[in-house]
Amino acid sequence: MTNVADIEKQALREARRIKHRSWLTSYLMVLPAMAFLIAFVLYPTAAMLIMSLYYGNAKNPFKSWRGLQNYNMRADFWVALRNTAAYTGMALVLVMILSILFAQWMYKARKLNNVAQTLFFTPHLVAGVSAGFIWSWLMSSQPYGLFNTVLQPIYQILNVPSIRWLDSSDTAMFSIVLMNTWKSVGYYCLIIMSAMKSIPTEIYESARLDGSSSIKTFFKITIPMISPQLFFLLITITTGSFKVFDSVRIMTNGGPGDATRVLSMYIYDYAFQRNNTLGYACAAGIIMMLIMVAVTVFDFAFVEKKVHYQ
Amino acid sequence: MAEIVFEHVGKSFGDTKVIENLDLTIEDGKFTVLVGSSGCGKTTLLRMIAGIGPATYGRILMDGKDITHQPPEKRDIAMVFQNYAIYPTMSVRENIEFGLKNKKVPKPERDRRIAEYAEIVGMTPYLDRKPSDLSGGQRQRIALARAMVKKPSVFLMDEPLSNLDAKLRAAMRVELIELQRRLGTTFVYVTHDQIEAMSMADTIVLMEKGEIQQIGCPEEIYHEPANIFSAQFIGTPPMNIMELGEGIRYGVRPESIVMEAQKLDNMALYRKGHIITREMLGAELQFKVRLSDGGTIMVRSPREDLAEDTDVWIMAKARHIHFFGADGIRLGHGGPQGLLDKLGGLNE
Repeated sequence: MTNVADIEKQALREARRIKHRSWLTSYLMVLPAMAFLIAFVLYPTAAMLIMSLYYGNAKNPFKSWRGLQNYNMRADFWVALRNTAAYTGMALVLVMILSILFAQWMYKARKLNNVAQTLFFTPHLVAGVSAGFIWSWLMSSQPYGLFNTVLQPIYQILNVPSIRWLDSSDTAMFSIVLMNTWKSVGYYCLIIMSAMKSIPTEIYESARLDGSSSIKTFFKITIPMISPQLFFLLITITTGSFKVFDSVRIMTNGGPGDATRVLSMYIYDYAFQRNNTLGYACAAGIIMMLIMVAVTVFDFAFVEKKVHYQ
Repeated sequence: MAEIVFEHVGKSFGDTKVIENLDLTIEDGKFTVLVGSSGCGKTTLLRMIAGIGPATYGRILMDGKDITHQPPEKRDIAMVFQNYAIYPTMSVRENIEFGLKNKKVPKPERDRRIAEYAEIVGMTPYLDRKPSDLSGGQRQRIALARAMVKKPSVFLMDEPLSNLDAKLRAAMRVELIELQRRLGTTFVYVTHDQIEAMSMADTIVLMEKGEIQQIGCPEEIYHEPANIFSAQFIGTPPMNIMELGEGIRYGVRPESIVMEAQKLDNMALYRKGHIITREMLGAELQFKVRLSDGGTIMVRSPREDLAEDTDVWIMAKARHIHFFGADGIRLGHGGPQGLLDKLGGLNE
């Protein structure tokens, strides 16, 4: 006859086995994600951190120890940082405002809006390099530059010289911002629009009954209610813009002069185009990463307080 | 205070005609309930008064003044929505204050009114909370305070209690009645719940398919239903309707039926029946009874001793029997004597 203690022991063993198995399953399930994270994020970051302390090139990164000397940034680094900040600021403001405006416009269910939505979204599907090429032709000062050809009559009426888009250090950066805004606004607009559509219509009706003007309704009701999505946009546009590379590389390659040299180009340049400055490029990369972390932490610490989560 | 008049009003959504050629007067200072099943046009009417769903044609008058094309904020009305439509990003105070601010009511007056109405709805301790921290009943109270604080001439309520649990709903029902008595303002209240309509209304407007079926006080609607629809809409379970022949039908409310094991005297209706089901509801029981002709009827009776699967007599007094013509219109209490006689001829 089996006694009670035996049964208890067996049940306990069974429970432990089930617990063990579920523990194993859960770790197996996160394993692929963890492996990717380690291989493509943690390991490169650590490697970059170590390389930033050495003198060397891509073939031999560890030629000699330099310690923190790589972190003594050269003057052109600050130019690149300033350019990146300017780009990020312009892109953030332009993309945010335009995507909110377009979303507000396309929010109503009209046939035209379905077409408009597709038209706005399509650029997002175009590869960055292709878009860069197309726009550098559109903005070209050569006779085939579409923008200036179309605008020529207006220049003549206003009696102003034609805009030199990518060829002038005053307008080059903004021209790139313009291209990237065109490319991404449809995507962000879609996010904002779906947030707007989730606001119950009764709230708007109630606001009308409360005598709220449409502008007041927009700022007092719509904007606060889509603030979680706006915050998401703030974070993604900021971090995304900070890393801008392909469009700049294609459209201006940092020029004219250093006018559009942004951080990621600067890092690329020092890492692969020059002699024995890989360590310095890594140091610049670390600083760029720290700045992005700082900005994001700032956003979460101060801006997020203004976000209304449901 | 305001009287609202609909004159030949119609409303279509695309090709769907919801309301056609409707005339209705909503009395000043009364609690009027628009009741009907979903899609009957009751909310459409309410939204016309509010100005957030304009009529396709016709005129709407408020105290004799044409408001058909007036924007909602100029109408001196306030509305409480089914889902409350609280502004989720504003505190309770800001919610109540929003309409006043837009009306440019000065700050001291705003504060005074907010304090007053927050007290009335019992939300004073919660003024600085966010709606997301509050329960459904509390949100409902904010919506009420937000409507009251504007001191409107007309209160519009679109199923304001349907998202509350049964107990709270009953309590809020009483509070709303008291509120209306105290303010003396015209209330227009939309519901699909006949019990709410019966318990709250001074006047019930019963609607179906965009048409008004009957207008009257709850007693009238219950005792003198205008037609079969009205008779069956009010009351649970609905009135039993049976054929008398030649298109004439007669009806008896389940609670008016006398059900006994023995035949009683002085009744106008006698039928043999067999109890199929018996449900205990508390004070009363609800029976499903099969008649000898194969039809079934519902009976409400306090007789706990009557068991399932027993034979009974189904009886009713003449004054509890309603007759309806072929068009469904009621022919009067007890009907013309001829009909009662005809019914007597069918008795068992």
